[in-house]
Amino acid sequence: MVMRYEYAVETEDLAKYYIMGPVTVKALDGVSVKIRRSEYLSLMGPSGSGKTTFFNMVGGLDRPTRGKVFIDEVDIASLDAYELAWLRAKKIGYVFQTFNLIPVLTAMENVLLPMIFTGVERDERIRRAREMLTRVGLGERLDHKPGELSGGQQQRVAIARALVNDPVIVLADEPTGNLDLHTGLEIINLLKTLNTEKKVTIINATHDLKMIDVSDRIFWLRDGKIERIETRAEVAVREVE
Amino acid sequence: MSREESVKFPVSEAFSFSLESIKRRFGRALVTMASIILGISFLSFLLTTGRIMAVMRQQSGTAVQAYQIWMAIIAILICAVGIVNSMLMSVTERYKEIGTIKCLGARNRHVLEIFLIEAFFLGLIGGAIGAVSGWGIAALWQYLLPLMMQQGSAQTEALVIAARLWLEFNVNEPLIFLSNPLIGIALSVFIALISSIVPAYIAAKLSPTEALRYEA
Repeated sequence: MVMRYEYAVETEDLAKYYIMGPVTVKALDGVSVKIRRSEYLSLMGPSGSGKTTFFNMVGGLDRPTRGKVFIDEVDIASLDAYELAWLRAKKIGYVFQTFNLIPVLTAMENVLLPMIFTGVERDERIRRAREMLTRVGLGERLDHKPGELSGGQQQRVAIARALVNDPVIVLADEPTGNLDLHTGLEIINLLKTLNTEKKVTIINATHDLKMIDVSDRIFWLRDGKIERIETRAEVAVREVE
Repeated sequence: MSREESVKFPVSEAFSFSLESIKRRFGRALVTMASIILGISFLSFLLTTGRIMAVMRQQSGTAVQAYQIWMAIIAILICAVGIVNSMLMSVTERYKEIGTIKCLGARNRHVLEIFLIEAFFLGLIGGAIGAVSGWGIAALWQYLLPLMMQQGSAQTEALVIAARLWLEFNVNEPLIFLSNPLIGIALSVFIALISSIVPAYIAAKLSPTEALRYEA
């Protein structure tokens, strides 16, 4: 029986400062949020507002200057290198703007990789990778390398790779940033479908306004701070006004 | 935290990852291997020539001169610098890949393993090519040169000597015949591993955010 906490992610006064010579850049400056399990969340804001920094902190990729991040109610600052690696492998799936597939591996091998790290048994690994790639619509392209796939297809492989270990959260940093309008929309819909089906929490850092239509809530970031938090309905009302 | 809850990357997986990487980036592997091939080929040429000379003079041991050994050592050192250089380039080219596998759960040790195993294979393949080509060039040099230089009955005589040498060299002393290429390959693997320690360590220590931010 898996324990179910109400919140997948909690941050407390999260801050990240970069010291660049005489100036201190406050990339993130005291962000306290709670993100519910299986919520679809968009982090919006102009570039430089701290989206990627937030993404890196919550993803356990970088240490905050101040404050705390809880994933599944575990303070990730308290984790050692082993536990942090496990967190990245098992609890979090990452989707990037530039897809970041391993160029020398096929679609199938790319999706297998996270399961090697979590020690899934070989046959099961192959079964799950095939199932997941079929789920994102690439069942016919298992043996293609990233260079032989279109941008949208590469992002689908990346999404399959992010989800194949059944993570608690999927962090997507500008997932539609390198895609055309139509393909971007397909990716957004795919993420939404998987969010509903698998009950996985999805956190998008984006400035793609199409994302609002599928998001449960939107965090508006500005200068490293949360400017406001709105639900989709509230955004719609504000736009009508 | 229980034993099951820690990331795994069995050495067999590291091996197949490294092999795929060499296979599918063979151009880059060739660049890294070029300096190994040249250095080891030169060494193998010297050792084999020395061995042939010794047999011709009916001596035991080799007839390699001390200065030739020094030349070979310098050649190997230059080859090591070449490997360091191309391994560093290879690490830089693969920043994003390193960042990505770290996001997927790879630990520093796993990244280190991948790069060192790659170096091992490059040393093995490069060493084998170098040792065999150096041996071949030395043999051709020693056997064919007299044939081209001599005429008439002298040529027949040279052919007889060459055939006798070939027998002596390859059949009567197979261990000595084999030892030179083997020394070359072992040395090559050793040099490749030593030269890759620093580049592999740099790759392993990269923070995932730094590695991902890098634009190739």
